[in-house]
Amino acid sequence: MTTELVTPGDVIGKATEFKAGKGAYVNDTTIYASLTGTRRIVSPLPESLDQRAVVEVTGHKAHGPIPEPGSVVIARVTKVMARMAAVDILCVGSKAVRENFAGVIRQQDVRATEIDKVDMHQSFRAGDIVRAMVLSLGDARAYYLSTAKNELGVVSAESAEGETMVPISWTEMQCPLSGQTEQRKVAKVGN
Amino acid sequence: MEYVNPEGLRLDGRRFNEMRQIVAEVGVVSKADGSAVFEMGNTKVIAAVYGPREIQNKSQQKKNDHAVVLCEYSMAQFSTGDRRRQKFDRRSTELSLVIRQTMEACILTELMPHSQIDIFLQVLQADGGTRSACINAATLALADAGIPMRDLAVSCSAGYLNSTPLLDLNYVEDSAGGADVTVGILPKLDKVTLLQMDAKLPMETFETVFALASEGCKAIAERIREVLQENTKQLEYRRAA
Repeated sequence: MTTELVTPGDVIGKATEFKAGKGAYVNDTTIYASLTGTRRIVSPLPESLDQRAVVEVTGHKAHGPIPEPGSVVIARVTKVMARMAAVDILCVGSKAVRENFAGVIRQQDVRATEIDKVDMHQSFRAGDIVRAMVLSLGDARAYYLSTAKNELGVVSAESAEGETMVPISWTEMQCPLSGQTEQRKVAKVGN
Repeated sequence: MEYVNPEGLRLDGRRFNEMRQIVAEVGVVSKADGSAVFEMGNTKVIAAVYGPREIQNKSQQKKNDHAVVLCEYSMAQFSTGDRRRQKFDRRSTELSLVIRQTMEACILTELMPHSQIDIFLQVLQADGGTRSACINAATLALADAGIPMRDLAVSCSAGYLNSTPLLDLNYVEDSAGGADVTVGILPKLDKVTLLQMDAKLPMETFETVFALASEGCKAIAERIREVLQENTKQLEYRRAA
């Protein structure tokens, strides 16, 4: 592995020899750096079809994580409406985001079955912490999220008493103080 | 007035193809994601870059799959000889647009959908060539912010006075009424991103003035690369220590 300092626009390889990784781009048959940092060559996995090594540039500025389609996020419900719930994304994978990303869980994306009978108010409450998957970048306003999987849904919620509730089934959570049960789309956590 | 004396020296003692001294530093604004100060002789510009971040004003979002680049240029009241009154005038609006377009051309905006990048430029001292200095400062700040770019966009101006092409005009030469050609290029890709001229020049003369300005751009690009590499080395040294 070789390292050297490069700046944007520097030629860092030929496209016939290398593949462009992070911080690099291809124009015609030449690979250029797009970041300031160190140039690294990563040898390809032995089983991959493309046997070209990847050339990449690692910069010094760490950007916060950004939700992408397919990534699992942790979000807080901010508003529940008849057809969707608005959330704020807090974590992408295991990393906390640096800025606020708005998301929505639409009625048809809450669960996998009987999607037309979903009652949003029986699934989420404002303040709940939800694990969800990013469906798409959504519209201009918010990411589209889905909880239509067993392991997705509410992971932590407070009861009317203000106590953290215990999940008792995939649709119910119970308050340990009052014993009252509340309806939620509960996520299956662990095993 | 004589702008080039018989010995071939200009008012400030430079030769026709000499630039003013360049001083550049990155990471000067701690709150910004990237920042830089760029000095060319007595012209001094500070640039701050924020982003890529979530779009704040949704109405500005035109294309969904590209980052939006916003640019704000302003001159400090104390930047010129006589104190400036208003902060935003027609000139600064035009300059903001020009700088935005130049930077947009070099940023890989397609990599950052749903985001915006803000560039703030403040002229601290104006002595001619603020347009170029702003572009160079913005490039440094963007590189410092770690925003992917095609190339370092650099800019330099050149003029034509006393039948001599002159590189990097200062304020006195700029106000002489001759042509002022501002050129912005992507040096490694050999592409022109900005070309402005506020007078008329014969074709042959324009060619030489343009060539001179491009040479100046390339020299500035070298200097900017040195500054960035020096900064990266410093960061690595500090990380290791």
